Amino acid sequence: MHLSATEYGPYLQNEPSPLHTTTIVEKCTLKLVEDYKHMLCQATEPLSTFLEYITYGHMIDNVVLIVTGTLHERDVQELLEKCHPLGMFDSIATLAVAQNMRELYRLVLVDTPLAPYFSECITSEDLDDMNIEIMRNTLYKAYLEDFYRFCQKLGGATAEIMSDLLSFEADRRAVNISINSIGTELTRDDRKKLYSNFGLLHPYGHEELAVCEDIDQVRGVMEKYPPYQSIFSKLSYGESQMLDKAFYEEEVKRLCLAFEQQFHYGVFFAYMRLREQEIRNLMWISECVAQNQKSRVHDSVVFIF
Amino acid sequence: MEEQDQMQSSIEVEELEEQQQREGKRLEEENVVRFLDSLDSYVTLLDSLSSTLRQGWLELASARQSMGASRINGALLDLKFHSAATSLQVTHHDDEILNQPHFTLCKWASSKNGYGDEKLRENKLQTNSDGPQLRHRSQFAGTPEKIPETKGAPLIVDDQVQKERTKSLSMFGTLVSPKLRAAQLSFETALETLVEIANVRLTMLSTSDQVRKELEGTEG
Repeated sequence: MHLSATEYGPYLQNEPSPLHTTTIVEKCTLKLVEDYKHMLCQATEPLSTFLEYITYGHMIDNVVLIVTGTLHERDVQELLEKCHPLGMFDSIATLAVAQNMRELYRLVLVDTPLAPYFSECITSEDLDDMNIEIMRNTLYKAYLEDFYRFCQKLGGATAEIMSDLLSFEADRRAVNISINSIGTELTRDDRKKLYSNFGLLHPYGHEELAVCEDIDQVRGVMEKYPPYQSIFSKLSYGESQMLDKAFYEEEVKRLCLAFEQQFHYGVFFAYMRLREQEIRNLMWISECVAQNQKSRVHDSVVFIF
Repeated sequence: MEEQDQMQSSIEVEELEEQQQREGKRLEEENVVRFLDSLDSYVTLLDSLSSTLRQGWLELASARQSMGASRINGALLDLKFHSAATSLQVTHHDDEILNQPHFTLCKWASSKNGYGDEKLRENKLQTNSDGPQLRHRSQFAGTPEKIPETKGAPLIVDDQVQKERTKSLSMFGTLVSPKLRAAQLSFETALETLVEIANVRLTMLSTSDQVRKELEGTEG
């Protein structure tokens, strides 16, 4: 009802009641994709390349989704329906026939923008859950580094603003990898290899994060860096539940600041990321309503502007 | 003299009857109290199950928010055949008093690791029957599995349990958010509560039958 008065209204008006969370997210994402394509078709170089870089993260997620689902003997069509529309490419369905990363690269990914990112993770080992996870994070690391280099080449305000935003993204990924790998079979060396080669935490913070065994040790490392001290100060000891929200809030703050300057491409990146945050907010609110837990809405909603 | 003996014996008989009546009434009251206790436990457990499930579903939504919808969705569930990580054992008591089945949850039991028996002993829902008839219900297995005996330190068991938990979450990736692990624990607790509810319900129904029989006997 509230969404009907917004630009998402036309996308949801024909959906039958009751609306499910997945339907709301799907239609709002559709609107985002149309807005993105509208920007892309009017962009010239180098902005068009910049806009395409924004979608490579979703492409990586889609590749991993197809490969993981195929490993679990799921139908390819079912998996394709779950892929993010921003990350689709022509030969994506062919991913299902690959048995290892070498075949993945040779059969499908060599002709996609992700091809250059595969040089670090091509092996003949069969794809299993751990290898897929390492592949996901290695690809994303290569993508972030490439995007960072591209923005540095553009120079000016774009380089300044994007290096701050991408550094934050790299640092956040390093923290999440460290926390999520606690208690798993991922070795310290493998964990360190998944951290990006830029960012505030590179290289000394990464050395310390690689050996952390619990959330309090991660906290101890991060509190040495003033920009992250404020994030971790919001959490009590041993707690990690609110960390995601704290990171999202910091990200939104930095993305909003991108609009304070003019004549740079960072506003496009910030616009897309803020729209994704808006959709995440809608997803969370609709989940709380569906589960009759409206008192928990403020646990994960991040206010924008 | 004979009259005095007769009076003495009739007094003794009366006293014996009174004692039996008191004993009978005490047993009736005990059954009623047992029934009310089991009813109270049943209602409390239902409430606990409801709140645990609510917490689990919210934690799952929170994990989805954190990791992204492409990483947590039904399309990633593993359709390959694999043995059940958790199974339910049904034991029958052959004695007249407790003539009812008893459910026991065998969590994270694996024939490869062979520590399922240890987990059974640690489980609070213990059986204390002599030579019960064992029926083993597993989610996927066609034939009953034998759980081999094993003796391991509690730390080793905890470590194995943690590995099994991680293994079952691996369909969503090996590096998952702590929120997803919390959701897993909540649903695990809910499963234990469900089994407890089943056992308490059986006790409640059994004591309810006994109370009803006693009431009918009294009225008759």
